[in-house]
Amino acid sequence: MNFFLQIIVSGLTLGAMYSLSAVGLSLVWGSFNMLNMAHGAIMTLGAYFVIIWFDSMGMTLWLAAPFALICAAIAGVILYFISAHWMLTKRAFDTNIMIATIGISIALQTGLLKAFGGEPYAQPLSLRSYSFMVNDVPVSYQRLVIWATALILMVGVGIFLSRTNFGRAVRATAQNRDAAQLMGVRVRRVYVAVLALASVLAAVSGIMLSSMKELMPLMGGEPLLKAFIVIILAGLGNVTGALYAAILVGLLEAAVQVLVGAQYGFPAILIFVILVLIWKPAGLFGRRTVARQ
Amino acid sequence: MSSETKKPLLACRNLFKHFGALAAVNNIDIDVYPGDVLGIGGPNGAGKTTFIDVISGINPASSGTVSLDGHDITNYGPDRICHRGMARTYQLNAGFDSLSVRDNVLVGAAFGSGDQGIPKFRYSKEMMARVDYALELVGMQDRGHLIAREVPVLDRKLLMLASAIATEPKLLLIDEPVGGLTPHEIDHVMEILRGLMKEGITIILIEHVMRFLLQLSTRVLIMHHGESIYEGAPDQLLADQQVVEVYLGEGTAKRLRHLMDQGAK
Amino acid sequence: MSRRDLIILVVLIAFAIAFPYMGVPRYLLTSALVMFCFATVVTQWNLVFGVAGIFSLGQLAIFAIGAYTTAVMGRYLDMNVWYTFPIAGLAGVGLSLLVGLATLRMKGVYVALLTIAIAQMMFVLIQTDTACSELNRIINPQTCISFTGGSQGLGDFGSFGWREVLGGRDAVRGDYYTMLGLLVVGVLVSFFIINSRIGLGFKALRDNPELAASRGISQFKYQLIVFGVSAFLTAVAGSFYAAKFKAVGPGILGFDLLLLLIAMLVVGGLGRAWGPLLGALVITIFREGVDNIMTEGLQWRDVIFGGIVAAVMIFMPEGLTGTLDRLWNYILIKLGFAKARSSTVTAVAQDKKAND
Repeated sequence: MNFFLQIIVSGLTLGAMYSLSAVGLSLVWGSFNMLNMAHGAIMTLGAYFVIIWFDSMGMTLWLAAPFALICAAIAGVILYFISAHWMLTKRAFDTNIMIATIGISIALQTGLLKAFGGEPYAQPLSLRSYSFMVNDVPVSYQRLVIWATALILMVGVGIFLSRTNFGRAVRATAQNRDAAQLMGVRVRRVYVAVLALASVLAAVSGIMLSSMKELMPLMGGEPLLKAFIVIILAGLGNVTGALYAAILVGLLEAAVQVLVGAQYGFPAILIFVILVLIWKPAGLFGRRTVARQ
Repeated sequence: MSSETKKPLLACRNLFKHFGALAAVNNIDIDVYPGDVLGIGGPNGAGKTTFIDVISGINPASSGTVSLDGHDITNYGPDRICHRGMARTYQLNAGFDSLSVRDNVLVGAAFGSGDQGIPKFRYSKEMMARVDYALELVGMQDRGHLIAREVPVLDRKLLMLASAIATEPKLLLIDEPVGGLTPHEIDHVMEILRGLMKEGITIILIEHVMRFLLQLSTRVLIMHHGESIYEGAPDQLLADQQVVEVYLGEGTAKRLRHLMDQGAK
Repeated sequence: MSRRDLIILVVLIAFAIAFPYMGVPRYLLTSALVMFCFATVVTQWNLVFGVAGIFSLGQLAIFAIGAYTTAVMGRYLDMNVWYTFPIAGLAGVGLSLLVGLATLRMKGVYVALLTIAIAQMMFVLIQTDTACSELNRIINPQTCISFTGGSQGLGDFGSFGWREVLGGRDAVRGDYYTMLGLLVVGVLVSFFIINSRIGLGFKALRDNPELAASRGISQFKYQLIVFGVSAFLTAVAGSFYAAKFKAVGPGILGFDLLLLLIAMLVVGGLGRAWGPLLGALVITIFREGVDNIMTEGLQWRDVIFGGIVAAVMIFMPEGLTGTLDRLWNYILIKLGFAKARSSTVTAVAQDKKAND
């Protein structure tokens, strides 16, 4: 029974963290077929911004966190203007921008490594050391914060996409770029905004991640891969599916970690996603698209 | 045309293609005989292109059978269907954009005619001759060195035709060859197709430009909502009330009748 | 292969053969031979990604299979590394065919994602392989080494053996010429395929898969061929790499090497026969340059590196060879040696003439 509870507690936490980064990634792909390989680096960057504003600039945490998110949004905007902006109308956009963002990601990560050194930092924004017990399973308050934040942000994003005009513009662009453009949607603005939003979500996810483990320049690599795994499972561009898939992956990983061994969690979900990709390339929740001109 | 005694080149039996609840091809049953030019018309969304996609193997049929020269090809992929002697063009100006015009046609000559077995590294003289022949047929022999991406619309359409011809087809499916062309260009394409007919190639032709369709076809099929609403000789078409109603409209029909009368004189 | 290409290639090979006798320091020879090894990988990768247009990032996994095959066979079966090369090559072909089958129905970035996942999985599996292997107990009962060596990697499986033949001072030259030989084979294979009938099939599939199928090209057949053909030399390159450095570790599956190879590929120019060679050369010279200029270059080097890859993709997606090609054609047309390759150029040229 405790095993089960442990899996749920840790799986939901992982799922909450993955969902934030995966939803952002999925939103960006869905809007304009940009597979953003720099997403992980932006996660890391967001987490470091907390350190910058808190440690170096002496802000209070309550101020440092929002400032970090604003910086992440700016990073997303900059990313758009140094990469996608120039490539949108050229051939093979999806593969080219993937390679370009791999380059940007490595540049950013090594830049962080140079600036902060390789030693891990403790994320100041953490309640990890405080916890309560449920059936002899310790649950730290940090996990509660993560669950709550993820929930609030997901609901927020959902409302944003479904209820606001801008959200409708995003969805319209995702469904048909040309039609949206003809209907007066300024699609390039949508792209910038979506990348900014995704970067904020990535930063939140990065802060959470570093609050559970520690902060390192290269920490973005594995979460990025996991976020990719999540959005592949959901079917690229399926934002709601990404949410479910994130929780599924989190639980699966936690289950393997608890039942088989900690080091097998990641290989297990890798095998899982490879099989799903081969079996159903459109993802678990993806509808089969009908090829018809 | 007393083609009834001959065996059909293409035979479609009870052909259906469903997209969800929509039957894009709804029980089409047709024979095409050697030397025929079957013209297919019908409103947008009538399922004309889907029908071609189904018989050329791009989009497999939901049910029914297609046979080419007495050989069942219903479940063949497009490459094997091409090897058996059916080639097609596309409505959009499809081409191998980064290759030269000549290489575009060479693809058809090198891969399209009969099963290759183990892939080879070299081209035969005969293939090269076929490329020259196909380029000459469409009148592009002097433009072989151009990059396909950069040639104008008419040339792109002709190029697609040439690469199809280079596969030595018995049956050629042509999807809207003159859409978007000027009347002068349309006449040019019509001359080229007449040349193909003389070579003995059987043709299925989709076209909205009715003048073009009626003047070239030996038989006409009009589709509506995936079904056949008319099948027969082109000169009877304009007398068919349903066709005039759902597709042509009274004005166009009148103009076409006038045109056909002129053509008869 | 055109006469121009042949002349350039002969000159390059002659230069590469003479290079070790030009009084260059030994470390440069090592850099050059590493470049040869990676350039070989890139020439083959170019066939898959550049020529056939399949965005596979699985080349590193094939490279690694080759390296580990040599390491494992040399270490546990006591095989001479020279005999392991063909086996490594075939192992690579096997893995590559599996990847090719798995990605058959996929397009674009999906292929990239799946192949990343496969390479990453190999990486994680090797890293988490910590169980002591009996085979290693036999070699040395005191130690606990896993079958693949885990994150530590494997060593002690032999080498090319040039030290014994040529002596310690000249051994590096032996290694150098071995790698050069591999690269020459790689370049010839790549040139041959790009200009052959099979190569035309690959390009047709890249440019328009649906039309290619309608013109009789079986995607199944040609995708498996390109995956199979390109894998052999890639895996042999991995195997040579292991033999040269007498050690392998999971690091060869890492993002650093992936970025390096991608940089060579895209800077050189995707899908062009000279792209991989030029890319490998430019990137290697650049790396050597940065390392010499900046004493603390290592980290900044990757910042610049990532920046270059991004900049090339964004502003010059055809790479150096693409740009040079345009320039070369432009000059030929100007000098009247060639006909314009596009009607727009013709129009411009005619306008010019009219103005003259």
